[in-house]
Amino acid sequence: MILMANTRTNEEWLEDLRASGATQEAAIADLRDFLLRAVLFFFSRNLGDFERLGRNEILQLAEDCAQDALIAVINHLSDFRGDSKFTTWAYKFAINIALMTARRERWKGISLDQLSSADGDSFMEWIMRDKSSEVTPDQSAMQREIRENIWEVIEQDLTDKQRRVLIMMVFNEVPMDEVARRLDTNRNAIYKMLHDARRKLKNRLQARGFDVGEILALFTVQR
Amino acid sequence: MNRDRFERWLRNIYETQEEEISCTECFDLMSRFVELETSGQDAAAKLPPVKQHLNQCPACRTEYETLRDLRRLEEEGRMPSSDDLQDLIH
Repeated sequence: MILMANTRTNEEWLEDLRASGATQEAAIADLRDFLLRAVLFFFSRNLGDFERLGRNEILQLAEDCAQDALIAVINHLSDFRGDSKFTTWAYKFAINIALMTARRERWKGISLDQLSSADGDSFMEWIMRDKSSEVTPDQSAMQREIRENIWEVIEQDLTDKQRRVLIMMVFNEVPMDEVARRLDTNRNAIYKMLHDARRKLKNRLQARGFDVGEILALFTVQR
Repeated sequence: MNRDRFERWLRNIYETQEEEISCTECFDLMSRFVELETSGQDAAAKLPPVKQHLNQCPACRTEYETLRDLRRLEEEGRMPSSDDLQDLIH
């Protein structure tokens, strides 16, 4: 069954949520339903993160996420600027909480120790695993030189923490929020670390005479 | 698969800007970005730092794609109910 669209205006949402009594209760109940739908929508697209859970456990997690999102929305009402529909703005909180919950569930009990370190050989192996592309000997030699230089930058120019985060996220696809949680930090800090690492890589590769655009063309041309 | 990931990573390096917005700043602007797209406007042109961040940040990109798709369903009058969505959980 598809329900009627949300009929409150932005102003009505804010007014009703800030009211008291039955008006506020009705608005909160409606908002919670919207948030639950956003959580379930996310969960339904990411069921692989919940392989260890039964259906009822997943649905309970969804309820918990919706409740947490409701609290977050109510606490941030004064941040709403009206540059979107109120429900679009509110859905963000639900989706954010749903994402973190799903990834935490997926990675529960998995040690990241082996996923946070690598050496040059395993890096090369990681790149070379797919050998379906055809390259000339010259192109192959140039590719190897570029890979060796990239590894050198990673090994010599990044901080230990930048290297660890880069290996976890880029090489081993550990989700960002999981990396943040394990390192007892937040998403912003992880993004900044990766940004700093990317800038170093871009600048150093260019300083060593490799135009990154040319590198990209070399690695993507053979299909 | 690994070659694809390497290429994506190279592209990310190539497209790195000196200044990029944070995940918090992207979250703050995401609903506006999605609303612009839903109304048929060029969100990337109006909010280029958001587009840049979404290209670089897998977590924010996942959230954006979910929000965009949900908003699209709503706009088309096809927003599923909680019951419908619960039936998808198995």
